[in-house]
Amino acid sequence: MLIRPHVEDVRLIGAVMGRIFLVMATATVLPLVWAALAGDWHPFGSFLLTIGVFGLLGVVGLRVGTEHPQVNWSHGMVVVALTWLVVPMISAIPFVLSGHFGDTLDALFDSVSALTTTGLAVISDLDHLASSLNFWRHLLQFMGGLGIVVAALTVFAGSGGISLYIGEARGERFLPSIISTARFLWAVAIVHFVLVVTGLTVVGWVVLGFEPGRAVFHAINMFLAGFSTGGFAPQSTSIGYYHSAIFEVVAATAMAGGAMSFGLHHSLWQGRPKDALANLETRTLLSSMGITMFLVLVGLVMTEAFTAIPGLTRQGLFQIFSAHTTTGWATISSTELGQWGGFAFVAMGIAMAVGGMGSATAGGVKALRVGLTIKAILNQIKQVLLPERAVITTGYYQGGKMRLTPEVVQSVMTISLLYVGSYLLGAGVGLVYGLPLKDALFESVSAAATIGLSVGVTDPSMPVPLQMVYMVEMWAGRLEFMALFALLGFVYASVRGK
Amino acid sequence: MRRVLGLVLGMMLLNVFAVPVLGATEVTVSVLIDFGAEWAGEEVVVRGELVGDYGFRGDGWMWTQLNGDAYVSQPIGDGGRPQGGNSGVGIRMPNEMGRGLDPPGGYLRRGPVVKATGVWKWHDPSRQGESYLEVSSLEVIEEGYEMDEGVDWGVIVVGAGLILLCPILWPRRRHEVSESE
Repeated sequence: MLIRPHVEDVRLIGAVMGRIFLVMATATVLPLVWAALAGDWHPFGSFLLTIGVFGLLGVVGLRVGTEHPQVNWSHGMVVVALTWLVVPMISAIPFVLSGHFGDTLDALFDSVSALTTTGLAVISDLDHLASSLNFWRHLLQFMGGLGIVVAALTVFAGSGGISLYIGEARGERFLPSIISTARFLWAVAIVHFVLVVTGLTVVGWVVLGFEPGRAVFHAINMFLAGFSTGGFAPQSTSIGYYHSAIFEVVAATAMAGGAMSFGLHHSLWQGRPKDALANLETRTLLSSMGITMFLVLVGLVMTEAFTAIPGLTRQGLFQIFSAHTTTGWATISSTELGQWGGFAFVAMGIAMAVGGMGSATAGGVKALRVGLTIKAILNQIKQVLLPERAVITTGYYQGGKMRLTPEVVQSVMTISLLYVGSYLLGAGVGLVYGLPLKDALFESVSAAATIGLSVGVTDPSMPVPLQMVYMVEMWAGRLEFMALFALLGFVYASVRGK
Repeated sequence: MRRVLGLVLGMMLLNVFAVPVLGATEVTVSVLIDFGAEWAGEEVVVRGELVGDYGFRGDGWMWTQLNGDAYVSQPIGDGGRPQGGNSGVGIRMPNEMGRGLDPPGGYLRRGPVVKATGVWKWHDPSRQGESYLEVSSLEVIEEGYEMDEGVDWGVIVVGAGLILLCPILWPRRRHEVSESE
């Protein structure tokens, strides 16, 4: 029997969301200051308005909410789902007012794509966009990748943090408290920020010949998009704009840093690299990357797309790395990517669908789930082949020796099936609108796995229902579905509960 | 008569052999993007706006991006309507050719519109598979110009107003309230 939520439940949710909105208001000060320094006075106004809206909602949440919210599991999940619905809407205000979007839905699409770290975009005339607005796009990706709620958790203490943390698709806790874990995430991000931005600035200025200010602009934005594995870029030709292998290598370190689980970062920081390599997740991801890289090279050789080994390896391997980390940067046009067929297409599809590591900024089904699924299947095969009375125990190593229990298998299979279902649903809607199967499937996987690579389907002229389906896919994929179901259950119980 | 026939024959032969020498083919940026392989190694002429950055590199080449989309004639900051994404290709030219150009297009700036003649490099092995236009001559057709988007004071006033409301509406703590009672 469903119990109807009480007013106290709503007040509690309001209180927590109020705090989150205040954190978002504070974060929006960054592009506001940028706009003032750059003289972008039109965007300046839009950021001021965005701060005002976040701030007012935050204060209202504090006023109506309970003073010391005691958040339980379901509250936390609902907070996460609602936050990830409301924050993109308010964050879209600067996009709506910029004039670079055909309508409000297009602006909302890019806002959702940014925060979910997908990277699909329908913005018009990116190459004439204000630098402060460009920074806002990339900052949203960074905030979304790290986690809007995680960002808030580092600022305010409160009970129920675990459900907020897990609701944002962070499974690992490797420090005693959620607050300390959240703060470690920020520490990792800051270290990467310093190293990558310095590296990209030097490359941009010394090697590429950019003006120093522009080198810093490109470096900051590419870090924000790379570490979050979001894949936006300041110019319309993505990372291909830079025409530089060195730039791609340095940027790839940001991608790798973001796609690695924060638990793995912790192991490395603790000086336990062997531990990290022994993990099932690490081995699965490395195996998948190896297989897909081999397949893409075979595919590109067969289609004679590239005639020399350096071209083959640089373009093919970078695209696979971009897809597997779910970043979505492209060194080639979407038209050319759409022409990749055969093994190359299969390799890209696998890489995108599998994705990166859990408890990272990456999307996709996640390597750990794939590894556990394979182990579970092998377990079943053993049961069939071995005598009936044979006892089969299956363990795996993930930060320690673990048992592959039926509950773990059920959880893994459920989420994996939800992802696959989402890929197929989006592809089905694409087919309804006349897209070729290959394009429909590619774009749907790109949305649900929050990759952002496109074969040209995502465009301001795309059908509105398809656009909305992709937005739901991005939202659900980023939160790994559970928070979404919790919200739906909350709404249903509000209406039909006793 | 013989002279006339000789003249006609000579002109015909000139037409047959002169075309490859005289003319690079004018194509659009979209054609290079959509049919890049077909134009590999061909000399082409492309019109468009220079945008982004001028990267003067130590190897003697300057890199930038050439856009051939609707925003060349009217960027959004100049009242243009949103008509989809940009359409651009990377180009490189000798550093000397790039010096003295108007600043490239960006926010509130329409960059110089040029006619770039050069060889379309498709999956260039010497650059690990990159595709770009290697420019041998550049003609500026339209100078770049600055734009003004103005300031939307209404938005600023509303935003400032909402921010000022926040401390007014900020909830007082309950123990402060009970002390005052």
